[in-house]
Amino acid sequence: MKLNKLIVLVGMISTLMLIAGCGADEQDEIVIYSARNEQFVQDLLDQFEEDTDIEVTALHGAEPLQIMEERENVQADVYISNDLGALGYLDQEGLLQGHDFEGIDSIPSDFRASDNAYFAISARARGFIYNEDLIDREDMPTSAEDLFDPEWADVENGYAITRGGNGGMIGHVSALRYEWGDERTAEWIDSIQTNAAGIFEGHGDIRRAVGEGQHAFGLVNNYYFHQQLLEPDNNDVGFIYLDQDEDDMGAVANAAGAGLVNGGPNPENGIAFMEWLLEPENQVQFVGESLELLINAEYGASYPEEVEPHIVPFDELHVQDMPITELGNYFEDTRALIEDSGLDLELR
Amino acid sequence: MSFIQLEQLTKQFHRSNQPAVDALDLSIHKGEIITLLGPSGCGKTTTLRMLAGFEKPSSGVIKIGDQVLHDQTHSTPPEKRGIGMVFQDYALFPHLTIEKNVMFGLNRWRIRERKKRAKEVLELVGLYDYKDRYPNALSGGQQQRIALARALAPKPHVVLLDEPFSNLDAGLREKMRHDIAYILKEANATAVIVSHDQKDAFAVSDRVVVMNEGVIQQIATPRDMYRCPRNCFVAQFVGKTNLLSGTMESDKKHVTTHIGRVCLSEVTDHIEEQVSLSVRPEGCVITENGQGRYSGIVERVMYSGEYQELYVRLSEQEHSQPMVIYAPVEQDIVIDQELSFNIKPELVSLVEH
Amino acid sequence: MRQMMSKIKQHIKTFSQTPFSSAVRQKWLLMWHHNPPGKVLFLIGIAIAFIMAIPLFYVIQRSATAGVDRWMRLLDERIPSLLWNTFSLAFMVTLFAVVIGVSLAWFVNRTNLPGAKYWRWLLALPLVIPPYVGAMTYIIVFGPSSWLRGFFEQSTFLGDYPINIYSFWGVFFTLTMFTYPYVYLIASASLRKMNRNFEEVARSQGLTTSQIFWRVNLPFLRPSIGAGAILVSLYVLSDFGAISMLRYVTFTAAIYYQRAGFDTESASVLSLVLIIATVLILWVEARTKSKSNYYQTSNQFREPEQLSLGRWKWFVTGFVWFIFFVSVILPIGVLIYWSYIGIQHGALDHRFFEFAFNSFRLSSFAAIISMALALPLVYLKARHPSIITGVIDRISYVGYALPGVIIALGFVFVFNNHLPILYNTFYVVAIAFVVRFLPQALQSAEASLNLVSPRVDEAARSLGYPPWKIMYKVIFPTIRPGILAGGALVFVSAIKELPATLMLRPPGFDTLAIRVHYEASEALYHQAAPPALIIVLISLIPLRYLLKKY
Repeated sequence: MKLNKLIVLVGMISTLMLIAGCGADEQDEIVIYSARNEQFVQDLLDQFEEDTDIEVTALHGAEPLQIMEERENVQADVYISNDLGALGYLDQEGLLQGHDFEGIDSIPSDFRASDNAYFAISARARGFIYNEDLIDREDMPTSAEDLFDPEWADVENGYAITRGGNGGMIGHVSALRYEWGDERTAEWIDSIQTNAAGIFEGHGDIRRAVGEGQHAFGLVNNYYFHQQLLEPDNNDVGFIYLDQDEDDMGAVANAAGAGLVNGGPNPENGIAFMEWLLEPENQVQFVGESLELLINAEYGASYPEEVEPHIVPFDELHVQDMPITELGNYFEDTRALIEDSGLDLELR
Repeated sequence: MSFIQLEQLTKQFHRSNQPAVDALDLSIHKGEIITLLGPSGCGKTTTLRMLAGFEKPSSGVIKIGDQVLHDQTHSTPPEKRGIGMVFQDYALFPHLTIEKNVMFGLNRWRIRERKKRAKEVLELVGLYDYKDRYPNALSGGQQQRIALARALAPKPHVVLLDEPFSNLDAGLREKMRHDIAYILKEANATAVIVSHDQKDAFAVSDRVVVMNEGVIQQIATPRDMYRCPRNCFVAQFVGKTNLLSGTMESDKKHVTTHIGRVCLSEVTDHIEEQVSLSVRPEGCVITENGQGRYSGIVERVMYSGEYQELYVRLSEQEHSQPMVIYAPVEQDIVIDQELSFNIKPELVSLVEH
Repeated sequence: MRQMMSKIKQHIKTFSQTPFSSAVRQKWLLMWHHNPPGKVLFLIGIAIAFIMAIPLFYVIQRSATAGVDRWMRLLDERIPSLLWNTFSLAFMVTLFAVVIGVSLAWFVNRTNLPGAKYWRWLLALPLVIPPYVGAMTYIIVFGPSSWLRGFFEQSTFLGDYPINIYSFWGVFFTLTMFTYPYVYLIASASLRKMNRNFEEVARSQGLTTSQIFWRVNLPFLRPSIGAGAILVSLYVLSDFGAISMLRYVTFTAAIYYQRAGFDTESASVLSLVLIIATVLILWVEARTKSKSNYYQTSNQFREPEQLSLGRWKWFVTGFVWFIFFVSVILPIGVLIYWSYIGIQHGALDHRFFEFAFNSFRLSSFAAIISMALALPLVYLKARHPSIITGVIDRISYVGYALPGVIIALGFVFVFNNHLPILYNTFYVVAIAFVVRFLPQALQSAEASLNLVSPRVDEAARSLGYPPWKIMYKVIFPTIRPGILAGGALVFVSAIKELPATLMLRPPGFDTLAIRVHYEASEALYHQAAPPALIIVLISLIPLRYLLKKY
């Protein structure tokens, strides 16, 4: 009897304390939504907290559409994305806000909005990760166009792609639309949807699946190749950048960066974060564990020794000539196109 | 001067043709112990619950003292009626000690007063030593007394007891009849008891109200009730009886029945000629020498220990009911024996049909 | 919402004021059998029902406005395959959970199985392992990068590795292993209550043991098998964690993914289809239940006789050990092993404790609210029965059949659009938990309240207490153990909850369950194991109560 009373009492008091505790922290804070993998961002945010004493509240894996949905009730100050198309799209919708950030000049103008509402820090290119035990480099496809051919369905264990709603996939399809137009792109989507042996939630799943030999190769961004190289086992993988020949379209590139959300709850801290991010050592930190390519390669992102020899600097790649900031114009229609072409945005 | 007044109290339950309680009038004096007696479904419990406020009357008035508890426009909720209640299953609060149970209704009193009052009533029911125990550690009879003490503690205008003896076994029952009557009188309480057992009712009450089908059949002291039941129902429900029909003679003191002339205890003012009579089995006294006024053959003997119940077929009529007669246990009676007896006029009464 | 509340309030007021059309008043009283509840109690009941109904209203409303095109497209492409995926899985898991559960219950309770006394509770243990945690351990053990696979690859004679955990059969196996205890516990309880007399009658009429099992025992077990099967199939319909980890897609997962892609309309359409399917299942079960009511009429109860297993003894013992090994020892062992590695790598850092604190804070908040709401609701139901109370009661049990994703789907929209102050706070998650888990608190409180005679209330009233005071002075202390047990169940369910938390949590608010989900999806098992182990340990708390309940 007495014990029961005690339990109830303790319970009541602790909730009261909890509720009180919630209202108490009114200190300097910033809300950051991030579409990137938590692992790649957390250290950066911790560093920011340490440098500025501004408390970071982060939502990882946030879709750009969440910013859309919350437009009447803005929650985030900054949106970090690995798809510049998403940032461009939000900017077009008036959900991002330009500012004359200190240090913005370090970012080439191809990699930022005209009013600097968003900018990119790191870049990645599309390509195939393949399992060296299952397939030889010479037998691999080298171009996005190759995937029209149904023969790739017959490779041992087949190949893997992500679901249609994946940011990298959307960026890729947008670039193809720019290059080929919608009709041909739709055909391409239909082919890969039909011929792929596995459709995964994200690229991390694909690199692991390919490393484990579940599939011969997979369509990913180059830094997933770098990550798989770091695995203790299942790391016999190679990578092929797409369309590298002289007359090819060039590798489809995308970039990761950040945008300042319009009307966020802590606008000053949002600006502070963006400016902090532009400092050279923080640009390096932004790449961090993701093993992407730093746009400002001269700031000297360092890569682990297993990865270092495989790094191809961004300016040495033959990249598609579409300005990455164009991606935003394609974002919304691309989703619809992907879905209409038969590739589900979400796993089914 | 009546203290509790029920006027034309009626309860009509939804989906039932007959009212459970039909235009009941009853007045109860202060300090009186009244028992509502009747078979199950007679409306006695409904009446009690209306008095307590747990059922809403369909119509009628309930007054206590000069307060109207219920009428057409207003109904005092149970918690404001100042009525104590003892439930059939006692309904002691299992999470409280005996003392706290008893003090439960004293929440407006001062703390010291509460303790004092709890001690008073617990001593009254003789269970003060048990005050720190929990109800489940007590026997049925003890729980019964605690429930009574709890009901008495806030000094209510009235205490209501719903079938207080029905959950007790035979031996305990007899003791509790005495205890409860004693405690209620000692506390100077006005009490209304509901019971279906005539012995319980007679043992504790000042007056008994017999009900059937929602209507009061008779209100009387136990003695009057037994000796002079007003109608057949009461006569049969309260103890055993022989019902005889017959013709009133012109002297208004004798009735001719199929067993012969039966003498009443006194001259009546009854005017009708065709009457019914109730003759109690105790009123039939067996005569040793066969000189009795009535005689018959013993058909059946039921030995109960305290007396023998005889079914005697009178010689005059072959097809009528046999008479029930009580014989002392020491008499040797065998089946088919011829028997003669007399009827005491004091235990004969005219009853309405 | 506020407007609606005040409207209802006014409505009530007019009812309770005396100079009102007496016909309406009469009807009102008649509906309550002349025992209407107090205004406050009634309003609390209505308000709770209203909150509970939000997700349902929202889903129906949104799917109604989804447009013909979307409906047609979903009906054409998604829904048939989802129906097949979902119901083939639910059917197979339920079938095997019933077979395993009933056979284990039979061996443990009715045969001379060695150590039956211990098996009785050991076999219920998988209940404390959330299926997504189980799925993670199976991925570690049987998955494509497992030691087991390496063993196959290296050996020359074993051939190709035959197990693909990311498949229908992987999901089926995982869910069966962690849901059979529902059937096992309920069937055990009925087997223990079964009277020996019936079996002896059958034997005296010349039936053999196996005939008795099929013709006497099994029919007696039917109601409990039905109850267990419903629990299992509702679980399969609502599970998100295990299914998403094993890369399978059922309705629940599809709803989650649609919502994650912000296609709320499609998510609502799928939700509505799932709700209809669930209602159908419940309806079928209710119908078969009413036809198969068996009463144990005998007033003289005798313990059933123990059967000797004879030469089957070693086979049966092996079977029991196998199930126990796969569903308890293996997952727990894997968790302990990886937790050990994780702790050595510093998994118990300040963030870990922050997550644990978040889980604790969220779950205790949900538990306390559920307990606070359970009391007036069960009181209203038990003491003021009427059509209205019946409706309120039904609605409060909505969470029993509604997957967390659907509740979250409704809440996201409602709070973002109508209650922006609460949007993105942990209160939204907590309220969603209350909607989802209130039935557990209600069941437990109701079971206790049913043992309290209404005469106890009347005794308190005759001693001068108004009804609302009785509720917390008399009823609450009397049924406190039941309410606390319900609170403990809610607490544990909340600790394990995944999809609603994923969809509703505010930025920066991670719970242990979320961490398990995230780290496991990144294959960081040393990070996932410690929080998973904590969840399992916390889930042990109400096990004693569960064992007693069934």
